[in-house]
Amino acid sequence: MEFIAFAIAFAVAYQALKGYRVSKERTLLYLHFSFILLGAGLLIDGLASIIVLISQFHRALLFLYALGYTISFLAQLVAYGILVVAYLHQTRNLSVQLAVAAPLVSVLFFERNAFAELVLIFLLVYITAQMVINYHINKTTNGLLVFGAFASLALAHFFFLMFILIPIFFPLAHIAQLFGFLLLLAMLLRVNQTS
Amino acid sequence: MIPSEPRLGTRPAMKYRSQLRIYVDIMRVIQREGNEAKPTRILYGANLSHDRLVKYLEELKTLGVIQESGTEDKVFSLTQKGIEFLNNFRKVESFASAFGFRI
Repeated sequence: MEFIAFAIAFAVAYQALKGYRVSKERTLLYLHFSFILLGAGLLIDGLASIIVLISQFHRALLFLYALGYTISFLAQLVAYGILVVAYLHQTRNLSVQLAVAAPLVSVLFFERNAFAELVLIFLLVYITAQMVINYHINKTTNGLLVFGAFASLALAHFFFLMFILIPIFFPLAHIAQLFGFLLLLAMLLRVNQTS
Repeated sequence: MIPSEPRLGTRPAMKYRSQLRIYVDIMRVIQREGNEAKPTRILYGANLSHDRLVKYLEELKTLGVIQESGTEDKVFSLTQKGIEFLNNFRKVESFASAFGFRI
């Protein structure tokens, strides 16, 4: 599932870079870096999980699972942080951006825990709220797909948080995450069908 | 009453069109007119002054996205490169709009 999500994240990043080359719009560059980070994090997490699975959960390699998850988590934290800054860049002034960015940087030094997952959920809820506003203004199918994607990703992280308490939420979190990226793929295909 | 000055670090309520946006507006007017537009139609369609229109049309010709024909009555049309650029721009606009970004 991580590899599918990785491929879709890189496809979105590529589309954003193409958009930046045409328009020189800086927010598209933010979007590019954000999805590059998301994709890289998912790739590392997926690879680490596969190595651990192939080694049949060999004790010496178990740390890779935690390492992969931590890298993926930090990549997502920065990626969603970049997106939040991109939306603030479009709507507010620089001082507000810095005020938001400062605690984000300090959060990078936290170890993996429920609080950090909550920070991710908070970022995703903010981005999802921006998507709701965007859909309300533009009423486009692509806008609805992106809203659905970020809502699914927020739900996935809620499930990851619940997984700490109830193991059944682990597969549900992965399914929600994959569904979110598939919605982004649907949006990409629709955009590229535009003639 | 004196209008209030915009505060430092904030954006004005009305965003000025970027050069790229003006290029696209001109090219879209030409396309809308059946790929043959006279300067007057472009001037009104793209909401530009005469001087700025002349300047931008020259720049677009240099870029090779529009071409001029006609001797007495000037007519502008999109080149193949111009048509491809507009198609690409439409995709970028659609992609950016899906994420709530304006170009």
